[in-house]
Amino acid sequence: MNTLAYIIYLLVTYLITVHIGLVFYRNGRVYILGVLNNDERLTDFVNRILLVGYYLLNLGYAALMLNWWGTVTTWTGLLVSICRMTGRIMLGLAVMHFVNMGVIYLLSKRNQHFSHHK
Amino acid sequence: MKTSFNFTAYLIYLPAVILLTWYVAHTLFKNSKVFMLDIFHGRTDIAFSTNKLFETGFYLLNLGFALVIMEITSEITDSRTMMEKLSSKIGGFCIYLGVMLFFNLYMFFRGKRKSKTRPLTPEPPVFTASR
Repeated sequence: MNTLAYIIYLLVTYLITVHIGLVFYRNGRVYILGVLNNDERLTDFVNRILLVGYYLLNLGYAALMLNWWGTVTTWTGLLVSICRMTGRIMLGLAVMHFVNMGVIYLLSKRNQHFSHHK
Repeated sequence: MKTSFNFTAYLIYLPAVILLTWYVAHTLFKNSKVFMLDIFHGRTDIAFSTNKLFETGFYLLNLGFALVIMEITSEITDSRTMMEKLSSKIGGFCIYLGVMLFFNLYMFFRGKRKSKTRPLTPEPPVFTASR
């Protein structure tokens, strides 16, 4: 039964990660453009690197979580363990997302500060 | 052996919380576009991007929380206990969602006020407290 749980879990996590990664990729571009002073090529480059790094980090973390999985014997246990693990991944993603936005916000504020003083 | 109602409870709980979260996020972020446009002084691209980013964050946070608190540790043996457990779980989650909703609204109003007092800053102050 553990194998089934792993398959469902990895599928769900993969879908969530890829979907959210694409949303961030599309919508984060404007911000990076602002931070990098409208340098289009560098922005696309940084954006893609960020996307790949995000995928690697997240999927690697999701795969690592399999280590801590207890033995599953019933359908209820299957559902509970999948939901708990997926919930943790989503919470982790949310925290990372807000920290990211905060960092970009601080960066853009610093840039403004500098350009203001020049 | 008595039948366990835990699985049924989960099957009711999951669609309920997903629908609730979807409804709240949908309503909130459909109407927040006006605020975002105000905060960013009509720059549609960055306003809609911010809106979308916040929407995704909202979904992640709340659905993740809903999934983490899903587990019912005790064994449920009759439908009455199931109803009671389920309503306390879903009710608690509703209250949490309501608090998040008002918190978000407060952030929107705060951002609007700040962008009015400092009309030249293009970034919203919304980020600072929303983690």
